[in-house]
Amino acid sequence: MSNKSYNSFEMAQAQFDRVADILQLDQATREFLRVPMREFSFSIPVRMDDGMTQIFRGFRVQHNDARGPNKGGIRFHPQETVDTVRALAMWMTWKCSVVDIPLGGGKGGVICDPHNLSLREQEQICRGWVRNMANDVGPLADVPAPDVMTNAQHMLWMLDEFEAIRRGKFPGFITGKPVGMGGSLGRTEATGFGVIFTLREALRDRGIKPADAPASVQGFGNVAQYAIRLYNQLGGKVVCVSCWDQNDQISYSYRKATGVDLDQLLGITDKFGGIDREKARGLGYEILPGDDWLTQDVVVLIPAAIENQITGENVHQIKKTVRVIAEGANGPTTPDADRVIQEREIFMIPDFLANAGGVTCSYFEQVQCNMNYFWEKDEVLGKLDVKMTSAYHAVADLARKRNLYMRDAAYVIAVSRVVEACKGRGWI
Amino acid sequence: MNPSDRPGDRPGDRPGDRLGDRPGDRLGDRPGDRPIDRPIEEILRDLQERAKELECLYQIEELLLDTDSPLTEVFTRVARVIPMGWQFPLVCRARIVYRGESYAEPGFEAATSGQVAPIRLRDETVGRVEVHYTQTLPKADEGPFLKEERRLINSIAERIGLFLVHRDLGEAMAGLETARRTPGPAEEAPWLIILDFLKRTDQVLLLRIARKMANHLAWNGVGDALQLLQGTFPLGQFERQPTGEENQPLERTKPTDSLRIADETFAIAAHHLTEDEIVHLIQKWIKEDKSRFLVNTIESRDSSLVEVRDALEKYRAMGPEMIELTPAVEKGVLVSLIHAFCTDQVEFINTAKRFVRIRDFFPVIDRTIFPPKSHGKLGGKSAGLFLAMAVLREVRERNPALGRIKSPKTWYITSDGVLEFIRYNSLEDVYNQKYVDIDQVRQEYPHIIQLFKNSRFTSDILDGLSVVLDDLEGRPIIVRSSSLLEDRYGAAFSGKYKSLFLANTGTKQERLAGLTDAIAEVYASTFGPDPIEYRAERGLIDVYEEMGVMIQEVVGSRVGPYFLPSFAGVAFSHNEFRWSSRIKRDDGLVRMVPGLGTRAVDRLRDDYPMLLAPGQPGLRVNVTPDEVLRYSPKKVDAINLESGNFETIDVSDLLRKHGEEYPLIRSMVTTWERGMLREPVGFGPDFEKDDLVVTFDGLFRRTDLVSTMRSLLKVLEEAMGSPVDIEFAHDGTDLYLVQCRPQSNAGDSVAASIPREIPDERIVFSANRYVSNGRMPGITHIVYVDPGRYNDLSTLDEMRQVGRAVGRLNGLLPRRCFILMGPGRWGSRGDIRLGVNVTYSDINNTAMLVEIAKKKGSYVPDLSFGTHFFQDLVESSIRYLPLYPDDPGIRFDDAFLARSPSILSNLLPEYAHLDEVVRVIDVPAVSNGRVLRILMNADLDEALGYLSSPRADATDAVGPAVHGEDTPEQHWRWRLHFAERIAAELDPDRFGVVAFYVLGSTKNATAGPGSDIDLILHVRCSPEQRRELDGWLEGWSRCLSEVNFLRTGYRTTGGLLDVHFLTDDDIERKTSFAVKIGAITDPAREIPLKRRGG
Repeated sequence: MSNKSYNSFEMAQAQFDRVADILQLDQATREFLRVPMREFSFSIPVRMDDGMTQIFRGFRVQHNDARGPNKGGIRFHPQETVDTVRALAMWMTWKCSVVDIPLGGGKGGVICDPHNLSLREQEQICRGWVRNMANDVGPLADVPAPDVMTNAQHMLWMLDEFEAIRRGKFPGFITGKPVGMGGSLGRTEATGFGVIFTLREALRDRGIKPADAPASVQGFGNVAQYAIRLYNQLGGKVVCVSCWDQNDQISYSYRKATGVDLDQLLGITDKFGGIDREKARGLGYEILPGDDWLTQDVVVLIPAAIENQITGENVHQIKKTVRVIAEGANGPTTPDADRVIQEREIFMIPDFLANAGGVTCSYFEQVQCNMNYFWEKDEVLGKLDVKMTSAYHAVADLARKRNLYMRDAAYVIAVSRVVEACKGRGWI
Repeated sequence: MNPSDRPGDRPGDRPGDRLGDRPGDRLGDRPGDRPIDRPIEEILRDLQERAKELECLYQIEELLLDTDSPLTEVFTRVARVIPMGWQFPLVCRARIVYRGESYAEPGFEAATSGQVAPIRLRDETVGRVEVHYTQTLPKADEGPFLKEERRLINSIAERIGLFLVHRDLGEAMAGLETARRTPGPAEEAPWLIILDFLKRTDQVLLLRIARKMANHLAWNGVGDALQLLQGTFPLGQFERQPTGEENQPLERTKPTDSLRIADETFAIAAHHLTEDEIVHLIQKWIKEDKSRFLVNTIESRDSSLVEVRDALEKYRAMGPEMIELTPAVEKGVLVSLIHAFCTDQVEFINTAKRFVRIRDFFPVIDRTIFPPKSHGKLGGKSAGLFLAMAVLREVRERNPALGRIKSPKTWYITSDGVLEFIRYNSLEDVYNQKYVDIDQVRQEYPHIIQLFKNSRFTSDILDGLSVVLDDLEGRPIIVRSSSLLEDRYGAAFSGKYKSLFLANTGTKQERLAGLTDAIAEVYASTFGPDPIEYRAERGLIDVYEEMGVMIQEVVGSRVGPYFLPSFAGVAFSHNEFRWSSRIKRDDGLVRMVPGLGTRAVDRLRDDYPMLLAPGQPGLRVNVTPDEVLRYSPKKVDAINLESGNFETIDVSDLLRKHGEEYPLIRSMVTTWERGMLREPVGFGPDFEKDDLVVTFDGLFRRTDLVSTMRSLLKVLEEAMGSPVDIEFAHDGTDLYLVQCRPQSNAGDSVAASIPREIPDERIVFSANRYVSNGRMPGITHIVYVDPGRYNDLSTLDEMRQVGRAVGRLNGLLPRRCFILMGPGRWGSRGDIRLGVNVTYSDINNTAMLVEIAKKKGSYVPDLSFGTHFFQDLVESSIRYLPLYPDDPGIRFDDAFLARSPSILSNLLPEYAHLDEVVRVIDVPAVSNGRVLRILMNADLDEALGYLSSPRADATDAVGPAVHGEDTPEQHWRWRLHFAERIAAELDPDRFGVVAFYVLGSTKNATAGPGSDIDLILHVRCSPEQRRELDGWLEGWSRCLSEVNFLRTGYRTTGGLLDVHFLTDDDIERKTSFAVKIGAITDPAREIPLKRRGG
């Protein structure tokens, strides 16, 4: 995303401006929210394995913490720009707001390529980042998380450094930790389940039973797999799944009119969600071209693979039977396709809302860490259901009342919550 | 030796225990000698005969114990006793001939035919025993004689030999004692006693030593010795005949003459050398003499391997106590052995002689199978490994980890085995294969394989192989080619010839059939298209290719039904594939896989070996858990012991079922859990439940594998003097070195500077990832396989046709003036959708291979990694460049490549239907006479291909790489150059110089960094002129010395010129250096002087 030719921060600002117009925000509020509240930029000197010292550039953008501590990832990327990070921090503010969790938006990172760094050097960068930021982050101020090219290991190094400086145990300082080391159960299921929680509500609003709403899913990764599982549990069936074939370097769609058997498919799937084509054929699946998932006679489409999949070119192939699209992936619909979908009055659950299960679960991780008490998986998923359901309804109600497209409604509600918090605090 | 040949080993056969009883041993009756059901009287007669023989021997023994009586008496008495041992004693007469003197009873007359046995003293025949009958008798085994009598006479002769030794020794010792007992300064010098001793005991040795002394003296300028040598010194005539001819009367030598000359020599020596020097020299030569058999056999190029082996075995049997080689002799023998077994290559020999010891060859000869009269060698692969192991042994003190590295048990078939095989089966026609059109070779090759497999091996080889199978029973084996051309410096025939795995299970007959089949197939691979093409290209086609074979046990252990090493791989001391700018070239590269190393060596379609730079182990190719997972090895090559097949199996399946049996596996895997990779701790992992990823993390972090690998590469590189390429395997306990050879290297590549001002419209492509060094200034043709259209081809057959079209174009387009550009991985063998299906011979004329990684969706295809194919490219200076057209800042002129007119259908009308997929762009034709120029700079990691005028290329074409230090070539070159300058500058009139010569190392092109410049000046000058000339030359000499110091750092004392002056008189009399002028061997070379008056 950071490599797009356009300036992502300007794009995020333009998006905000549109919402501000809808909300008729005053000038001061616009100015306040168009840019981050705080930005940190600092040097991290690291003694490399060969004894030389190298200086890395680290930064943290805190967009808005009116609703609660900032929340957002730390990315290691060699071509990182501050504008990308600003845009991502702003999006975090809205994302936390739309699911109504008491967190603000932040993002940070270090300009580096882990491919050029040994683990020890990466550890030093993580610890250096925390030494620079220790006074301005923390469970009650700013909570980092893994992002591009960082993972649980980096989070543990950072946590350890933070706790050493602050002299205490603060597992809520950071999220994305492994289970047993302050991580939350249910993290793997959260995003996929979140998609289905919102879908379930959307169908209910339309008076459609899941059993009568066959779905077609693009992708067979983590999100898609758990979405299918939960949808099956709700009585719905998924008749088509498409996935990438590593050997053939193209994707195929696997169709079974009676509904795919998730466990059966998982039995013939590698770690990357690649289904063994021959075995699938043997199990009675029809093998279709990769794009055919979109053209099925189904009621629900769940794009849960990668961005830009429903485009101006293929959007017209969507069958008339389709009533709901739930965006499990980030940005699967291009703007021109989005307009067609809006015109055809297909109900859209925007990515922003549909896949917010992940960030919600991170919030739960932080909450559990802060009280140092960890819930069972059912409890996590139960609370997730509550959060997602109420978030969905808030957005859907607004869309209905104001006759807004769901994507716009989600934005509007997110921004207005932040504005209210700022005003309530007397900032603007 | 077969123990059953030695009846004397049975105690009952021994008539007594005294010295001299041994001859009797030979008379013992051997079971099976005669039919059992003989008439009783015959047996009785035999026993009688035997009693007579024994009696005879006893009596002779008695007589020979008498050391006091004169020789004449003893011998005469013995001659008298001998007949009693013969069947007809009454008509039997005997005599002893010793050093020309005959000893017998008076009235002895030799009959025309008798029985003769030579008397030998220290391998020299000094006389004989003769037995004659005075009348004609019926024919028996040997004329009238029985075969028992042959044994008897031989025993007697042998016993007399011993007697003579004993007697000589006694006399000599007595002499020594006397000398010792003499008070005051010894009348006789100690060396005289030694000589005296030799005179009595071993005149042959004495003469050899005398000759050496004469040489030594002459060498040191003793004129008398020179005269002695020129004159009368007996050349070779005292050399004994090594074997045979023993029944012929000896030629009469003139011992007295020889001895006189020896005495004269030592008299001269006494004059010029001190006693200590003489003793020292004699000692040294006596020592050397003991190893003559070894030196003679091994240093002779005519010796066959059998002879070499026998000599080596004798040497081994004697052991270091018996035979001590002087360092010089040892080196000579060693070099000859290396020459005989390994290679003629000077570089290899130079390296090998520093590390290899003679006894390193003992295990090799034990395990070498060769045809009779073989002069074959072991081949490059075997030699490389042999040398590497010697190097590791040498460094084990300093680096114990390297000392622990093993090599698998290996048998060898010498390289001429294949020739014998071809001869034996009359397959000679196959030799012409290398001159046949390559397409035909390709067509015929499958038939050749079948033909070879249906041919037979000689019984010699089969016997040998049978022993191999006994030795390697119960272990799978690998049959590897080890050709003489393979693995030579600069020409890695990597993967060109076959290596085959055998489970080695079943009955012996089945195993033998499998082994011979594999060897035949390896032999056939000499005539395959790839090796032939490769050789043609490197100018090696006419070189006689012989193929040695290595039969190695496979390193590994049994896991379930499979046999496999815990891990294996290849490693390079130069990393030519760097994934981070922080990795330096000499950080090395390891490609490692679980199971057999085949998956690390070969290019894989759907799997990845683990890559590691031992110098930078922290910098991994794959960083995020997702990457680590995706690029971890998923499959394992193993030998299925139950089916006998070579199989590829899933790691996860193998571990789930047999993880507990897999040695070292706990250090090789990481568990994958909710997106986290964890190293197993405690009892983990749970092979049945856990999701395991092969990362080798435990090995890298907790064992010394990385540091061992690093120092292994360093040490071998240092020893070989060039980067190395090794194969290794680990059986869970030990690390094994399986192969070692020089790594091909791209030393000719220099970083090109990348111009910044080229306008975009002239740029065809640019690159900024994984760029190596190089420049191709004048590319005239581009073969462009359109990635999109290639991908759109609907059938695999069409894709294969693309490969064939490329192969044909490779033969048509101007060599090294075209480049190949195509999608994904060139040379994909499995799934050809990943890249065009070509072999090396389909692309060997290209200047460059470009792989295009165009994004498909969000996915960027993997490009080819370093493999044998990659090495081929490096070897042939074919550049490799990956292009990532979708990367930011990258230019890729799709329009130029996809829309410029293509000439494919003109060149290959039969492939016209592929015109859209395979495009051949004639660059000058479509760009106003411009050519494509490609510049690559590894330091900047940038490359640029742009259209440029061909004229610009001519002006700045680069010469050969500039080397920082002088090559040996240059040492003599500049010396000769300066000699010529001096001659040109020298004024002949002023200094009275007639002629100017250069000689020695400068003339012979052998000068080293410390060599001086030898000049001869023929002068006709006054003392005045000479003084001036000396001064003038002195100036040059000092100046050149300084020049040399600046070039090499060598400081020569007293100038660099070594000038010898000759007068007319010298030339007339041919004294000293004058002999060099116009000499037949190594003459001085005249250099023209400045023209007189000019």
